[in-house]
Amino acid sequence: MDDVCGEVLRELQVYLDGECSGPLGDVIRAHLGDCPPCIDRVDFEREVRVLIASRCRDSAPTDLVQRIMGSLRFGTGA
Amino acid sequence: MTSGGAGGTVRRELSADQRREAFAQEALPFLDQIYSAALRYTRNPADAEDLTQETFAKAFAAFHQFRPGTNLRAWLYRILTNTYINAYRKEQRQPAEVSADAHQPGREDGSSDFSLYDRVAEATSAPAEVEVLRHLTDDEVKDALAQLPDTFRMAVYLADVEGFSYAEIADIMGTPVGTVMSRLHRGRRSLHKALYDYAVRRGLLPSPDDRSDRVQEASDDG
Repeated sequence: MDDVCGEVLRELQVYLDGECSGPLGDVIRAHLGDCPPCIDRVDFEREVRVLIASRCRDSAPTDLVQRIMGSLRFGTGA
Repeated sequence: MTSGGAGGTVRRELSADQRREAFAQEALPFLDQIYSAALRYTRNPADAEDLTQETFAKAFAAFHQFRPGTNLRAWLYRILTNTYINAYRKEQRQPAEVSADAHQPGREDGSSDFSLYDRVAEATSAPAEVEVLRHLTDDEVKDALAQLPDTFRMAVYLADVEGFSYAEIADIMGTPVGTVMSRLHRGRRSLHKALYDYAVRRGLLPSPDDRSDRVQEASDDG
């Protein structure tokens, strides 16, 4: 692991959040072009995020939807 | 899309019927999303329904203040989050967020230097594959998130599930961007640790304690 790998590791989450702009972002992007171990790590983290996002959704119960729409229709707020 | 014209005006000039119609068309499509977030915040379906209903009631009452063309989704999340922080957290008498933020990273759950990638890589094969975690059920992933302290759970949900930017989360939670970053950093690490623990408990990954035994058994069999 070279110095840049350590830097990528430290900034990985911020980079994946799309919040790593400027020279550091450029350095990481360039590094990820040719460092297989770092690419594996980034791919893994990205997939973990997809997993979490896809498993944490629920639909509002029908009676709640009807209650909110009903109160809107009768002008009593939502 | 331009930001001028009708996009910049508040909606005081709408009639009550027009306002109701506009709210139904623009805000109600977010009902499932707001309910999902409310359920992750409160961790309880009955409270989540109340919180969702209260959020939409407040949003409707304040809809004349919403500026068309700005981010309605973020505006709804701000109302949801404020309502939760002001009402539900007080009721539950949860520790103030200061104490949640002040505790040492990972001191309680041993996650201070935890790396899910490294654990999965050493337990399976390098490079680590996320495949093993896909065997976790939806409820297990939700429970792992539910174990995080309040403010960490909210930040991680807003970032990882809803995809809000740091600036948007800071605005929604009413905190500086630096606080958002620290909550995300520590929240994700704890979440990864919880996911790992579920995977070990389910036998999807070997327990760190008996890994050496298993290697021994495997070589005995071979």
